[in-house]
Amino acid sequence: MPYVLDKPALSIGNVGQLAVDLLISSTRADRIGYFDDPNILPCVGNDAYWPAPRGHLALPLEAYDSLSNALTIVQQRSPVSKGMMVEFAMSLADFAAASGKKHIVVLSSLDFVRWQTIDMSSGLQIYYLSSINIDGTDDECEKLGWKRLPEYNLAQRRWKYLSDLAEGNALQEDCMEFEDEAGEEDYYPSLPFAAMFSCFKAKGLKVTCLLCYCSEGDNIPDSFHLAEAASKFLGLSPDNRQGNEGGKWVIPFSWQSLYGPPPDMSLF
Amino acid sequence: MEDVLTDIPPPSRFFLEDLNNFTPPPPPLPYPFLLFSNPNPTKPLRPSLLIIALSSPSLNFFHHVSKTLIGTLILPEVPFSGNSVQPSLRDRSCNIYALNGADQLTILVSVQYAVAAERAHAVAKMLINEQMLPERVLILDSVQSRNFRGTLPPDDTFALKLETSVERKGVGDDGRGDSQLLKGVDYFPSGSVVDGLAAALLSRCQMNKIKGTLCVSWPESGGSVTSLVKSLLLKDVLPGLEHGINSFGEGEHFRFGGNKDHLLDSDLYT
Repeated sequence: MPYVLDKPALSIGNVGQLAVDLLISSTRADRIGYFDDPNILPCVGNDAYWPAPRGHLALPLEAYDSLSNALTIVQQRSPVSKGMMVEFAMSLADFAAASGKKHIVVLSSLDFVRWQTIDMSSGLQIYYLSSINIDGTDDECEKLGWKRLPEYNLAQRRWKYLSDLAEGNALQEDCMEFEDEAGEEDYYPSLPFAAMFSCFKAKGLKVTCLLCYCSEGDNIPDSFHLAEAASKFLGLSPDNRQGNEGGKWVIPFSWQSLYGPPPDMSLF
Repeated sequence: MEDVLTDIPPPSRFFLEDLNNFTPPPPPLPYPFLLFSNPNPTKPLRPSLLIIALSSPSLNFFHHVSKTLIGTLILPEVPFSGNSVQPSLRDRSCNIYALNGADQLTILVSVQYAVAAERAHAVAKMLINEQMLPERVLILDSVQSRNFRGTLPPDDTFALKLETSVERKGVGDDGRGDSQLLKGVDYFPSGSVVDGLAAALLSRCQMNKIKGTLCVSWPESGGSVTSLVKSLLLKDVLPGLEHGINSFGEGEHFRFGGNKDHLLDSDLYT
């Protein structure tokens, strides 16, 4: 029975979702079900991963199993209804706990504009946030050369509010008092990954968020970076991937048109 | 030319409030409900085919088909001001009809207003698996240019489809099958998506293992696409169904598919 749940959080450049696309296509994970959540906006499409068999319908929130890797992967393809992010995170946390998952890994990106201490000498740094220690640290992540998200502070009002909300000790209306006072330190706890982190943690599940900074544009390289990080963290062997690309990644079929059609050359 | 500063960004890009955990939820809206002209209908209805028309070409086609009004779906936030007593393409309505002359029980839902994405789940649940248990569903919508990753030449006319797994299984080993609708229509390309009510309806079919097909056509309106949709419906879905200009004479204005966001839809003009 797979015990790890891998889930993207909506974020700038859709990097978490792209990384999950890579994990699903490269591990040849099998779709095992859908989530019927009223808080997810509807969308449908053709199979995102493989050109055949044709016409395999894709829904907005799907679960995939990679049995060889003891991994369940959840892909989210459309946004959450405005104002319902925390409720959505709670539903997911309920599912994860009920289905016996022990460890949740959330993949997300962060806006490069917000990066306070840019250290280019370390290349594309991966940041993390873990529920193992109260300060968010995890020795396993530190050994991989990753840095705990420095902006995580459970005493900070919005992190604390999220935690209280996830544990049922606060009401969503209580956040109204924050409305006119948002500062820089309020940015990180406002992001979807923070809601997931707080809700999974409140259920007593081990949760690790893997984060990378990026700007909006062609975010394919960012997605490879984050998928590689997730793969290392989860101990996924490249030998278990099915691809011919570097690192044996399989490019999802839907990525052929990821950024739209080529320009109309008749203009020139 | 698109204004990159003020136009809605493509769907892969978010507004900050979309990603904000602390954005307050909208005020709750009353649940949609169905009203039937028969005060004691057999609940739920079990049509052999449920057709849901969302696109201008399909609404235009079905407006001229012989049918019987049996009910309507009420979305409380949609005002009725300006609606006429007799069904009209100008109405903001979501009427439910039984198609006369069709084999077995074929029900048509004509959706003549925009359903917000946040409401689509509730509306789809109302139409499929609560008040109606169809054997098969056909949804007719238009290609959404904001969600389509291929080229959309304005002078090109085409239709594409998405199907539920149960509907696809109608395909035999030779790639053909007797039980599939719209057999000759190509699949929607991977990488593009359809959102909104059409997506919610097809998703509901997939999750409830109902045979479902979503057919999207391009362009959104015009004589050529209306002819294409008419041809597909009369050939593959409702062969033998009578179609003509109805006696109310609205056909001329809407022959080429009226835009649902017509200027006259404003609340100012009632």
